[in-house]
Amino acid sequence: MSAPARSGIGASPRKRDGAELLTGRARFLDDHRPEGLLHAAVVRSEIAHGRIRSVDTTAASAAPGVVLVLTGEQAARHAGPVPYFIDPAARGGNRTDIRCLQVDKVVYAGQPVAAVVAHTREQAQAAARLVRVDHEVLPHVLDAHDALAPDAPRLYDDWPGNVVMHNRYGTGDPDARLAEADVVVSGEVRIARSTTAPIEPRGYLASWQGDTLTMHASCQNPHQLRWMLATALGVDEGHIRVVTAKIGGSFGLKMQGYPEETLVALLSKLAGAPVKWVEDRRETLLAGAREQTHRFRVGALADGRITGLVNEIVADIGALTAQAGWAMPNMSATTQPSGYRIPDCRIELDIVVTNKPPNSAARGFGKDAAHLVMERAMDLVARELGLDPADVRRRNFVPAGEFPYRTSTGLNIDSGDFHGLLDKTLDTVDYPGVRRRQAELREHGRYLGVGLGFELTPESSDSPGTFVSGFDTTTVRMSVTGMVTVLTGVTSPGGGNDTGIAQIVADELGIPLAWVELVQGDTDRCPNGFGNFSGRSMVVGGGSATLAARDVRAKLVAVGRLLLGAGEVEVRAGMVCGDGRELPVPEVARALLTRAFAIGDIEPVLESTRAYKPGNINHVPDEFGRIQPYPTYSSSLHAAVVDVDAETGKVTLLDYVMAHDCGTMINPALVEGQARGAVAMGLGSALSEQLRFDADGRLLSDRFKSYLVPRAGDLPLLRMVHQVTPSPFTMHGNKGAGEAGVGGAQAAVANAVEDALAPFGVTVRSLPLTPPAVLALIDEVRP
Amino acid sequence: MTTVRLTVNGVQREIDVAPGTLLVHAIREQVGLTGTHVGCLTGDCGACTVVVDGATTKSCSVLAHSADGATVETVESLADGEELHPVQRAFWDEFGFQCGFCLPGMLLTAKELIESTPDPDDADIHRAINGNLCRCTGYNTIVAAVRRAAKEAS
Repeated sequence: MSAPARSGIGASPRKRDGAELLTGRARFLDDHRPEGLLHAAVVRSEIAHGRIRSVDTTAASAAPGVVLVLTGEQAARHAGPVPYFIDPAARGGNRTDIRCLQVDKVVYAGQPVAAVVAHTREQAQAAARLVRVDHEVLPHVLDAHDALAPDAPRLYDDWPGNVVMHNRYGTGDPDARLAEADVVVSGEVRIARSTTAPIEPRGYLASWQGDTLTMHASCQNPHQLRWMLATALGVDEGHIRVVTAKIGGSFGLKMQGYPEETLVALLSKLAGAPVKWVEDRRETLLAGAREQTHRFRVGALADGRITGLVNEIVADIGALTAQAGWAMPNMSATTQPSGYRIPDCRIELDIVVTNKPPNSAARGFGKDAAHLVMERAMDLVARELGLDPADVRRRNFVPAGEFPYRTSTGLNIDSGDFHGLLDKTLDTVDYPGVRRRQAELREHGRYLGVGLGFELTPESSDSPGTFVSGFDTTTVRMSVTGMVTVLTGVTSPGGGNDTGIAQIVADELGIPLAWVELVQGDTDRCPNGFGNFSGRSMVVGGGSATLAARDVRAKLVAVGRLLLGAGEVEVRAGMVCGDGRELPVPEVARALLTRAFAIGDIEPVLESTRAYKPGNINHVPDEFGRIQPYPTYSSSLHAAVVDVDAETGKVTLLDYVMAHDCGTMINPALVEGQARGAVAMGLGSALSEQLRFDADGRLLSDRFKSYLVPRAGDLPLLRMVHQVTPSPFTMHGNKGAGEAGVGGAQAAVANAVEDALAPFGVTVRSLPLTPPAVLALIDEVRP
Repeated sequence: MTTVRLTVNGVQREIDVAPGTLLVHAIREQVGLTGTHVGCLTGDCGACTVVVDGATTKSCSVLAHSADGATVETVESLADGEELHPVQRAFWDEFGFQCGFCLPGMLLTAKELIESTPDPDDADIHRAINGNLCRCTGYNTIVAAVRRAAKEAS
């Protein structure tokens, strides 16, 4: 196999773990089967809301192969509450204790109430079905608007209602702007509950040796998980090692904070043997990713400039979770008004609990919904004023010369060129050509539509008082052979940041990429870090690796000066060069690490551990109470071209263009991979994905036959064009590249379908636009 | 427990399985080849795809029992030592995977397609891999990988 000629920053060497993944040698969580392994199954509540009267484990305990059965009451004797990834109390909200098994009350169907350990998975699952839970059934509420009613059933007895927190964001006087506007447009947009659904489900494998716990986990955040286990189980952190195996996709779902983490560790301790639990697909699909309603009004001048925005968001998060997912709607609010210059905004947000399973963190992290609402607003203003949607965007974008730009809600956008993205998108999709084709097809009763979606993606978050940290740490270590081991606190759930970080280190050190090995996801080996989320891995993992590599390179140069007797020395292509002579890097490394006393006065260490904090983060609230938790902002502009069959309601994607700007690209092929995946996820939630529950709160769409994620034939070729406006606040000018695509795709599809059906005069108010939903839109306006 | 005889990647195996054991679990746990993955157990995602008697098969939807006497090929059979199969190389070159969890199904399905349809168009490729879910790539690079593999095989 020949390696590509270039492998430094800006090149696209292939994924470094490719060979093991392609040959089936990679070891995912479920592939670990230590000697004496036992298997766990979780008994989940079958009702949405109720008090637990008793849990009868008699039959389950006597079932074949069963080692132990654990109830919530028993678990509570050994384990405290699961600490929050983002504690609502840190943001002035309501909290509740999250337990690994519920003790007295259940608040959603699917909530863990007991667990079984047996010799085989099948025995554990069979016995779990024999556990009898006696409940006092309580009235439940499945809709967030219903949950806001004063007499609604209350999930948490000590809360005043079902609101985790109410927040108001924005500055200026939007009511005055609306009052003096030429037009006021109001709209509503609902996004149904969808989910991330990685193909590998979540899982954990715990084993104890004496008082020391080793936890293998399909998890993005090994260090946070170690701290959480230490806290919940009352074990010293130094006695816990967390290892994240290969991860089969994640997308936020595998951020830490689940009851089963503590549960599996506890089951293993009580059983005195290694215990593994891997959720089944039905369990994976319990976790939601988003569900919100926005009711908004915008005021605009006759030329399309928007002067004020008022939006009321009701976000349904299901039950509260210790995982980060509950906090996503905050970003739906603060990411408005996106990249548009609208100084007068008021965004009201209610984060509401209902008797459904919790929402887990999901690619987009709520920012996606901000774009759905802003882009719908742009199109509605265009429609009201008879303007082209592209022109309305052009008139409202923050101009490229005005960065950094502080939005009304407080975000300080580092850089960008949104007009440039719009031009590239319109050129690539051939906007005038599509409009001509649309007019021709309409003559023949066919409905072609084109929709635009701009997306601003705040990335690499640092949220005060939480485990959402905006820095990370990396060690670069050169061995006596010249080979380099990079140990970093960021993790890679599949996207390939390990390859990107290795590229940066090889580049900085002046050595071939093949000399660099990466270690991630092991709390005993890697420096303290925070794992993978918020498009942070190349910003802070790459940044800290750069600093550490520069230290090691400086040492090579210093040793090279002594060995070569040269003044100016540099390292390139694996050689230390100076005064026309050169030494291979391995020779220099060996010299320093084996002949330190002979070489001279130089400390024989070829290793450095460095942390990197990007700029542009400010936690001190300004006069309006705004903080600035994101260093960098990617941006993208999406155009979807759709055909809508007015007879069947089927939406077919004909073309898709994404102009993307994540600053400097370390590995363009990996950046494109992230974008393509995010767009596919956005298209799924826009057209087919929806988690449905019955009237009793039980999940109906519990498999891939009813939860419809896109298949190959459903998606067009995504045509990507790049624009590079480097961030002034990160090491390499790079911005996050993991999330952009979800919100832009949702918005572009919503606008394209409305555009296609313009002859009918429909107004899109909700996603997904399944065939029945599209037919209902047409029926709604049909005379 | 009953004994099931399988030829897995050219090696004859006798394994003892319980009556309800799925072929995917037998391959992963009894035979010990973990390159075949479990994603849904409902026949929808294709991560468990293996080749049974020459045809790609979702091994979560087959009882180990009913495969008695069969010849089974798994993803581990593709490479020849360190030498990757052209389909594997094409997936690597085209970035046709990210996390790699869906790969066993994608690779074996692509190989089967190319063997029966040497010059597949996009519709052929879509039809072939529509039974295999990928959540990372959005499929574009997978389609490109299959196209490249076909080209290189011809």
